[in-house]
Amino acid sequence: MSSIRKRLLAWLLAALTLGLAAAAMAVYQQARADANELFDYHLRQVVASLPGQAFPALDVGAGGGADENTVIQIWDRTGTRLYFSHPSMRLPQRAELGFSTVATPQGPWRVYSAIIGSNVVQAGQPLSVRRELAAGVALRTTLPFLILFPMLGAAILLTVRGALRPLDRIAAEVGSRSARMLGPVPDRDVPDEARPLVRSLNDLLARLDQALDSQRAFVADAAHELRTPLTALKLQIQLAGRAQGDAARAQAFAEIDAGLARATHMVEQLLALARQEPAASQRGFAPCDLADLARSAVAARAVIAQQRGVDLGVKRADRAVVQGDAAALEVMLGNLVDNAIRHTPAGGTVDVGSHVEHGRPVLEVADSGPGIPAAERERVFDRFYRLPGSQTTGSGLGLAIVERVAEAHGAHVELLDRDGGGLRARVRFNEPGVPDTNGNKFAAPV
Amino acid sequence: MRLLLVEDDAMIGESVRKGLRQDGFALDWVRDGEAAELALANGVYDLMLLDLGLPKKDGLEVLRTLRRQGRDLPVLVLTARDTVPDRIAGLDAGADDYLVKPFDLDELAARIRALLRRRAGRADPVMRHLGVELNQATREVRKDGVAVALSARELTLLEAFLDRPGAVLSRAQLEEKLYGWAEEVGSNTIEVYIHSLRKKLGAEFIRNVRGVGYMLAKA
Repeated sequence: MSSIRKRLLAWLLAALTLGLAAAAMAVYQQARADANELFDYHLRQVVASLPGQAFPALDVGAGGGADENTVIQIWDRTGTRLYFSHPSMRLPQRAELGFSTVATPQGPWRVYSAIIGSNVVQAGQPLSVRRELAAGVALRTTLPFLILFPMLGAAILLTVRGALRPLDRIAAEVGSRSARMLGPVPDRDVPDEARPLVRSLNDLLARLDQALDSQRAFVADAAHELRTPLTALKLQIQLAGRAQGDAARAQAFAEIDAGLARATHMVEQLLALARQEPAASQRGFAPCDLADLARSAVAARAVIAQQRGVDLGVKRADRAVVQGDAAALEVMLGNLVDNAIRHTPAGGTVDVGSHVEHGRPVLEVADSGPGIPAAERERVFDRFYRLPGSQTTGSGLGLAIVERVAEAHGAHVELLDRDGGGLRARVRFNEPGVPDTNGNKFAAPV
Repeated sequence: MRLLLVEDDAMIGESVRKGLRQDGFALDWVRDGEAAELALANGVYDLMLLDLGLPKKDGLEVLRTLRRQGRDLPVLVLTARDTVPDRIAGLDAGADDYLVKPFDLDELAARIRALLRRRAGRADPVMRHLGVELNQATREVRKDGVAVALSARELTLLEAFLDRPGAVLSRAQLEEKLYGWAEEVGSNTIEVYIHSLRKKLGAEFIRNVRGVGYMLAKA
């Protein structure tokens, strides 16, 4: 039974019933002991009150003297029955002296025998008399409780219900909320036992509210940011509509194409970021060699680098295996390499590589571009943040994606100066096979 | 009419510049708030198109500084911030109009014309002087009811004269109306356009003021 109310009721009522039964039993036993004593004394009195001298044989069957339940018989030493109070009842003739219990066809009897004068006098009584008396006493004693029983049950029911009402109220409070109402559940009038529950619930609600807020902010930011490429597209299309002559039209369509490519890139980056939501991580991790990752990232961008006159290559690709999501790592490295190519002027170089440093796998992308001023190196990880004065039309999401993927892999992203100018982006992983499940960037391997 | 466009996005800036030039506006384009303040310092602009989310200095801050200096330059805010509080903040900071991205080029041009008209104290989009009519909305010119074909630059010059019919405009002033920064101005370019305007609208329509510049014939 998982209902506290039902369990409380069942146990309380069971305990009450058992207690009552035990009390009735005790009363019965006590009453029976008392009755035994009393009736034994009575039997002895009856026997003692009979005449001591020898008296003539009585008519068998003559009644009188004793009450209904007490049977008296007297016989002399020869065994002749002198008196018998109840002709239908027979007490065994050969009884030992004093008290004894004898079995008769009517059930067990209590018999007292004594020698008075020359006669043997016996007084007997069925034990059932005593039992009935004791049962009567027990019943009379416990009857008031039996009548009280339903009232006690009702009182328990009401108490339990009342004690649990705050829980019902909390349940109703929470149940009546819409998905948007994430304010705390009021914890006044909450019993001490339920307070930790309410408090944890409120903590959870607060965290949920925060997560939803940041999600809402992200959606608002994303919608806002999408307006820019869409505005450009709309203007470009209007200009194409106005264009006179084939050359102008071709130029206008080339601009529309560029605008569309930019809007598409923005949407793809948003999707990449959404896929890296923390909840989606850690599942499907498999060993990935960073060297393979570096080589394929470079191969995929060889053409565009060539077009831009950037010397893109793999510098040092040591085998460095990490537990990770290969697709996500590919997106992460791709963003770093794309950034490097975009910001490196023609004639510059971009080096991609992997190695192991103090047992930690490291991915590295170095370019000979203008670098990022130290003051901006924190902010560039913010979503939609673009370096002031940068003329490129990026989504502003690249490094945010990089950081998100790195976090999911327990890795840390650093932006450093490259020797000889430019930027060196490093992703340092924890030791292979020890993915940091807490998301702490520098958890010590256990 | 010479406009200042402050917009950090390359594609949007390029398209707006192209589109508004086709509509007969001379336009200079800067990409951040500080450059905007530098450009505003020389006071040659008739109107500013201002994006709000700018690098270096926020658009609203540029606007507030401008108004604090007591400048009444018409300002049209172009922005992706579209909530009511954003619009209110923009207008209260001193904007004359507010256009939310993505916007329509033709609407932008129409709003620019409306703002310029209002500033000149005219309600009628048709400018008239001595039988010459210029419809600012359609960019059509008529002389005595007959349509006259003018090039974009001729039209811009005529507009500058009609905007202030009694004023003498110097060659430098006319050059400013005509060109954005990036363009070369030949030494006798203005004379060439004035000559061509006189041919189309009548020799007496634009008068020389020797040593000073040009003005429209008195009505």
